[in-house]
Amino acid sequence: MSRFFATGSDSESEESSSADEITPKATGTTFNKQQALLLSDDEEDTKRVVRSAKDKRFEELTNIIKTIRNAMKIRDMSKCLEEFEQLCRAFLKSKTIVDKEGVPQFYVRLLADLEDYLNQLWEDKEGKKKMNKNNAKALSTLRQKIRKYNKDFETEITSYKENPEQSAEEEEKDDAGSASSSESDDDDDDGVTAKSLLKKKPQEEEKAPEANKFLKGAADEESESEDDEESEDWGSDSVDSGSESEDNEGAAASLAVVFLKKAQDGEKQTDRRKKHKKKERLEEEADEEGDGEEGGWEKVKGGVPLVKEKPKMFAKGTEINSAVVIKKLSEILQARGKKGTDRAAQIELFHALAGISNENNLGEGILVKIKFNIVSSLYDYNPNLAAFMKPEMWKKCLECIDELLDILFNNNNIFIGENIAEDSENLAISDQPFRVRGCILTLVERMDEEFTKVMQNTDPHSQEYVDNLKDEGRVCGIIDRLLQYLESKGSTEEVCRVFLRRIMHTYYKFDYKAHRRSLGLQGETKSEQDQEESEGEDSAVIMDRLCKFIYAKDRTDRIRTCAILCHIYHHALHSRWFQARDLMLMSHLQDNIQHADPPVQILYNRTMVQLGICAFRQGMIKDAHNALLDIQSSGRAKELLGQGLLMRNMQERNAEQEKIEKRRQVPFHMHINLELLECVYLVSAMLLEIPYMAAHEFDARRRMISKQFHHQLRVGERQPLLGPPESMREHVVAASKAMKMGDWKTCHSFIINEKMNSKVWDLFPEAQRVQEMLVRKIQEESLRTYLFTYSSVYDSISMKTLSEMFELDLPTVHSIISKMIINEELMASLDQPTQTVVMHRTEPTSLQNMALQLAEKLGGLVENNERVFDLKQGVYGGYFNRDQKGGYQQKQSYQRAPDQRGGYQQRQGYQRDHKGGYQQKQNYQRGGYRTQNQSSY
Amino acid sequence: ENLPFFITCLVVLKIIKHYQEEGQGSEVVQGVLLGLVVEDRLEITNCFPFPQHTEDDVDFDEVQYQMEMMRSLRHVNIDHLHVGWYQSTYYGSFVSRALLDSQFSYQHAIEESVVLIYDPIKTAQGSLCLKAYRLTPKLMEICKEKDFSPEALKKACIGYEHMLEEVPIVIKNSHLINVLLLDLQEKSTVADKPELLNLSSSNHLEKSLQLLMDRVDGMSQEIVKYNTYCRNLTKQQQQKQQYLQRRQQENTQRQSRGEPPLPEEDINKMFKPPQAPPRMDTLLIAGQVNNYCQNIKAFTSQNLGKLFMAEALQGHSS
Repeated sequence: MSRFFATGSDSESEESSSADEITPKATGTTFNKQQALLLSDDEEDTKRVVRSAKDKRFEELTNIIKTIRNAMKIRDMSKCLEEFEQLCRAFLKSKTIVDKEGVPQFYVRLLADLEDYLNQLWEDKEGKKKMNKNNAKALSTLRQKIRKYNKDFETEITSYKENPEQSAEEEEKDDAGSASSSESDDDDDDGVTAKSLLKKKPQEEEKAPEANKFLKGAADEESESEDDEESEDWGSDSVDSGSESEDNEGAAASLAVVFLKKAQDGEKQTDRRKKHKKKERLEEEADEEGDGEEGGWEKVKGGVPLVKEKPKMFAKGTEINSAVVIKKLSEILQARGKKGTDRAAQIELFHALAGISNENNLGEGILVKIKFNIVSSLYDYNPNLAAFMKPEMWKKCLECIDELLDILFNNNNIFIGENIAEDSENLAISDQPFRVRGCILTLVERMDEEFTKVMQNTDPHSQEYVDNLKDEGRVCGIIDRLLQYLESKGSTEEVCRVFLRRIMHTYYKFDYKAHRRSLGLQGETKSEQDQEESEGEDSAVIMDRLCKFIYAKDRTDRIRTCAILCHIYHHALHSRWFQARDLMLMSHLQDNIQHADPPVQILYNRTMVQLGICAFRQGMIKDAHNALLDIQSSGRAKELLGQGLLMRNMQERNAEQEKIEKRRQVPFHMHINLELLECVYLVSAMLLEIPYMAAHEFDARRRMISKQFHHQLRVGERQPLLGPPESMREHVVAASKAMKMGDWKTCHSFIINEKMNSKVWDLFPEAQRVQEMLVRKIQEESLRTYLFTYSSVYDSISMKTLSEMFELDLPTVHSIISKMIINEELMASLDQPTQTVVMHRTEPTSLQNMALQLAEKLGGLVENNERVFDLKQGVYGGYFNRDQKGGYQQKQSYQRAPDQRGGYQQRQGYQRDHKGGYQQKQNYQRGGYRTQNQSSY
Repeated sequence: ENLPFFITCLVVLKIIKHYQEEGQGSEVVQGVLLGLVVEDRLEITNCFPFPQHTEDDVDFDEVQYQMEMMRSLRHVNIDHLHVGWYQSTYYGSFVSRALLDSQFSYQHAIEESVVLIYDPIKTAQGSLCLKAYRLTPKLMEICKEKDFSPEALKKACIGYEHMLEEVPIVIKNSHLINVLLLDLQEKSTVADKPELLNLSSSNHLEKSLQLLMDRVDGMSQEIVKYNTYCRNLTKQQQQKQQYLQRRQQENTQRQSRGEPPLPEEDINKMFKPPQAPPRMDTLLIAGQVNNYCQNIKAFTSQNLGKLFMAEALQGHSS
């Protein structure tokens, strides 16, 4: 018995338990029973004692108090101090309970006693001298501490001191009862305490073998137990559980399971239900007569599979009609969601029921109802939200939903909906149409989520993943059918929801069929085209139709946002850049996406990335760079796209958060290739940054277009030994270096070669076209870079030479140079007759640049110097009027300082003319300043 | 007052050789000057370089090396008085804390000590550039007191112009050497010095500007530092003032009520003045900036002259 009380002393609790002996019968509520059963059910786990929070806390307190009192007795001050601090902490922890119950007497008593005791010790000079150093130190600390601490309990302590006897009495009572666990005072009202539990135990143990007996017993014994049931709760319980294990859960043969299950059936209602069921069973067994005994025996012993059980769902003689089946159904449903219900068995039961109703032609209404329940119990199978369905479950689920849809399609007279109340259901065959409660849309949505979960939890590089992915077709099929169904029957909101599901399964897929068609349009004969067209709509058309419906009809922002994003994504994926861009700009999503929930934000990120890649394919380098900048500059592209968790911030998030984040991950087949993404970004950054760098070589305030790109360059520079590039990044860096020199051929060979092709470029659907675009861009930008870098060494250069150098045709060269001249990037003019570029040499040389920089810096220096002077001036002014105004003036002088910054420019001009001007001006200012101050004063 | 001191050709050549052999780019070479004081006049007759040594041989004892070197030189009857040191410079950058400290310790020990600054870049351009500097007595005093606070420097009335004084140098050789030199001049095949007429200036100017800019930046920082200090100081003084006023008011009130005045408190303890930034660095930077400016000025005026000359020549020839 004592093993239930690992912490407390047992002798007292035994005493008190015997005193409370009467209570179990009196308070033998179902609640108590439950406790007892819980305990008996896992006897190994003896340490688990159910106590109220109050008991636990107070026990802790009393334990500490006890140690303190002991320490007081032996004058161990340091121990006392230590324990007191612990006590304070413990008290703080039990604050909520104290707030409810008031400060416990024993606590106040200790505080008062301890203070008195300490004061006494303090007065005792002699004794103090004898104390060792540690103790003396602890004494003074403790005395100070308790003084401070007791201030909070002043009223309680004074009231205690006024009549210490009463309190002491109470305390003693308390002590007696609660030295171990201090729960005796609330035993009566709660009835859940450990002691009452203790009493249960032996009884329970007595009952257990009895139950066993019952289990083995035959049907006639059960009738006896039936009587028991009425008279005594206890008996009925064990009997009940025994009989039930035979009843519907052959598998659950072990006693522990029986009890475990029983524990959940505490409520009277279920009891009643069970009785009812038992009656049914009794009838059935009466029919079977002699067989009953043996059958019962076998079932329990061997955990007979359910197949044998199935026909026994209903008594042989019963006429199976819809009412009976519905009743049965609701019976099974009752157990749903309760702890200990065997979920697998429940699913089987539903299936069996479905079979029966099918056999007996009870009508589609019931069938639909049962199917609904099968699917939802399949979903319920995993209690944990993070866990995913087992493959067989998943298959079953798909089948079931498919069948359900079959029924719905075949029978036009079935109305389903969440809003149909349970009691207004019409399941039986009659003239009226069927009315079934349930929402097929929710089921399908849940199925879709389960599919995502399955995909998330499968290793993307395994065959299993491929197998699972094959189910995607079925999922899509189901969604499609549901879409058809709801389009005719559902409300607009439902249609929007199912449309979004459809969109979600479409937007990320590249429509190869349409792509091929658009490519081979001319080559193919007309008949072939027609044939192909009849195969199905283009995904673009579907997307357009679905999205537009949602734009028009949706009233929740979320669905519309998702639809827009998917639409943009789909456009971008199929290189319809302008549509995608316009949609993005028109939606104004960029402004308020930060308010959306994380999954939508992930979708947004995916869309932006896809948009950027699309822009790149179209040769809109700048747009591509801008679209990708946000994602790439953070360095967390993987995380932002929901394609994996970063390892580095493990300590930042806890396990809970990690689980949530894992749930947000996008399944592998929807991933965007990160290397491709980075490569696209870096190449576009290169195409922008290298000419820019060349143009602003001497600019002191040059801004970086792409930090990421510069970082890569720096990494490249830091290499002690530069070998041929290996990775994608190294390729880009090497290409950048070549481009810096205007060497487009080398640049080209670094960007487009076999390695890069296999890594990046071949992944585009129109690889060839993209490569051509890229080459051209490289040529153009190299030309620009060349002109920026080397224009200073040319007086003039023939455009023909340039066009040969960069293998661009003359008009292109001409247009590029013209653009540069117009933008004032290149100080030159074109000489038309000779087709040459004549440099004007107006750009400052590096020396001049340097001098300009120096001038700027000197300006700054003078400015700083001025400030020092201004400060002096302020103090100076303040000195004059110090007595009157003090601080105000100085403050003003600070404020004025920035104003005078601008003043320098003017003064500088002035200074140039007259050498003494500066000084004069200062004098003037000083005077003016003072007068101004005075006037303001 | 500043008597020129004599320096032998040997020393000059040894310094140049030292730089040629060991110094390159912005690296600086240093060495010890040896000589004698003859009738208030310093004569530098010999020198030897400090060996270049890397960070990792810690065992190397510089002082030990110098002593040994001097002892050995003494054995071969060379003047062994340690009269200063020499240092090469990179585009005229030598006014630094390190130079100040070591020159101070030299001058502190031997009053006549000088530091010879050799500018290899100017020398390469065609004119030997060797300058001797000493710390001014004022700076010596300040360094002795080690007080670089703004007040102390203000009191000492020291500006960047008065930190170092240049001492004129006369290169004087023994007659034998003179004879040799004349002899060599006769034999010398390299008569013309094209470097002198080199017109390209931007490289040199760019470098100088770069260095100048760097120092200007430093100066700016120092000023900002000083500015913050000043601001903090005034703010605090203001607080102090307010506190005193309050105190006074309270005291008068108390007096009127016949209570004793509040006890005196150490006001400086309550308002600890902020730590003043040392101003020595600013001075040094200013000195260095000045130095750069002088260099640039000299260089540009020379170059301008050359340009005019070239122009005139071109006009003449065409």
